[in-house]
Amino acid sequence: MKTKLRYVILALLILIPSIINLLTPLYNRRLPEFFGMPFFYWFQTVWLALCSGFYLGFARLMNGGKNKEEETVNR
Amino acid sequence: MTTIGLATIIPFLGLFALFIVLGFYGKYWRRGNLNDIHEWSLAGRKLGTTLVFFLLGADIYTAYTFVAIPSGVFAKGSLYFFAIPYVALAFGVALVTMPRLLALSKEKGYITASDFIKDKFGSKTLAVLVAITGIVSLLPYIALQIVGMQSVLIVMLSGITNSHTVQEISLLVAFVILAAFTYTSGLRGATLTAILKDILIWITVVAVIIVVPLSIGGFGTAFRDVKPSYVTVPNSLVTGYATLVLGSALALYLYPHAINGVLSSESVHKLRRSTALLPLYGIGLAIMALMGILVYAVPPAMNFLSHFPESSRGILVVPSLILYSMPPWFTGIALLGIFIGGLVPAAIMAMSQANLLTRNIIKEIRPNTSASSEIRITKISSTVFKFVALGFVFTIPATYAISLQLLGGILIIQILPAVFFGLYIKSLRKEALIPGLLVGIFSGTFMVEYTNHFGALTSSLFNIPIFGSLYIAVVALTFNLTISFGGSIIMNRKDGLALFQTKKQ
Repeated sequence: MKTKLRYVILALLILIPSIINLLTPLYNRRLPEFFGMPFFYWFQTVWLALCSGFYLGFARLMNGGKNKEEETVNR
Repeated sequence: MTTIGLATIIPFLGLFALFIVLGFYGKYWRRGNLNDIHEWSLAGRKLGTTLVFFLLGADIYTAYTFVAIPSGVFAKGSLYFFAIPYVALAFGVALVTMPRLLALSKEKGYITASDFIKDKFGSKTLAVLVAITGIVSLLPYIALQIVGMQSVLIVMLSGITNSHTVQEISLLVAFVILAAFTYTSGLRGATLTAILKDILIWITVVAVIIVVPLSIGGFGTAFRDVKPSYVTVPNSLVTGYATLVLGSALALYLYPHAINGVLSSESVHKLRRSTALLPLYGIGLAIMALMGILVYAVPPAMNFLSHFPESSRGILVVPSLILYSMPPWFTGIALLGIFIGGLVPAAIMAMSQANLLTRNIIKEIRPNTSASSEIRITKISSTVFKFVALGFVFTIPATYAISLQLLGGILIIQILPAVFFGLYIKSLRKEALIPGLLVGIFSGTFMVEYTNHFGALTSSLFNIPIFGSLYIAVVALTFNLTISFGGSIIMNRKDGLALFQTKKQ
């Protein structure tokens, strides 16, 4: 059960940023502006940093199971 | 027209000298036997988190980002900002595929994706097809790097007589130097110079994003006067935007040079960490892309651009904006950053092409090639590939190189079913993957030609009723996936196997 939860969290850490990156209508708007920059531009730029956050979470969780990692390569 | 003074030329040449020193010093850095292919092509497979970050940064943030994307934003508007979510998504794709490829490669000694394909599917034909696709799709990519370097030289040499000849000679000299140090230092030289390149690029983007908006009175000024298609993506192009993001993100880590960078990494853990951090690099790319809009609010830069034919203005946007908004000494630093920003990736790309040619094509034809001739052929062909691309740029117009790069993306994505799904799904069949790959390549090429009315390639979007505009790479990949999976299912059912019989973990 615990490993199942781990897989769900891992999947979400990749899927959430991916879906938002692909949902263009979500950020395809002018307002609210940020120092005169349309939402479209500043959101996508700021989102890069947040994506890195998700991905670091994914990397940490994957790297946590160090021994498991070596096991998967035993073919 | 402005002529660039010594205040710009001295920092430019000084840093270029440092670049040369670093390139050759690579040979002594973390010494290894450079006649061993793993040492020469993969820097001994021991690059840590930071170095892989820089190396992959060099692979990914190239003249495509400094030249092609700002040029696209300048000419067409917000559609070309797709590059930002594209890189954000690409690293997610990389995180689920590349660590596994690295782990397998370390165990089995793979150097290219084609090595993996051959071992996994036991098919020489498929391995050779994957290798050829990789080599062909990189040619216009290298040419694009050279176009980026050209854009710097055009701006620097504007106003002098014979500028065209001087520019071609300068490119030739730069390439001879590059060829010499990649020959002797291999990936080590590329990695060290990548660090210099990245430092210079970062200094440039940070300075530009502070100085330019302040001098023009805020972003608002730039955005107030542009057409609506520069503020948001027009409705008719929203599906095009999303599919460009998807297709480009899926294609990125299929390019041989990206895989080469991944395989040089020391461990799966370090690879994950550096990949997770790479979207941060995209912030620099976003700033570069914004220059395509900011330049409209800088009248001297626009005036400068108006001296050039409309088709070549785009590639000059970034260098000319820097020239007209920064002090001369800084312009020298920034322009060198962009110049080597084309040179370093070109070196890595040519190396990965050479690996494919030697290991996956020549060795297939002549299996008893010795290790020492393998490395010699690799080094020589990496030099040849660089000059082929240079010849390409000298003979065709710059704008054409950018268009051909569109075609490169459509081709390379067709190896996805074999490479990405091959990592996880056991029962894909080579007999289905081969026709899938071929149908993908031919349908993609046909759609590109059709959508551009069999003329010069300017668009990579295809209009399909109901769906709207779609990135051709995604459409062709759908055909490819249908054949690869459909064919495998049918064949496995005959043999009584399940398709999704994944490997026991």
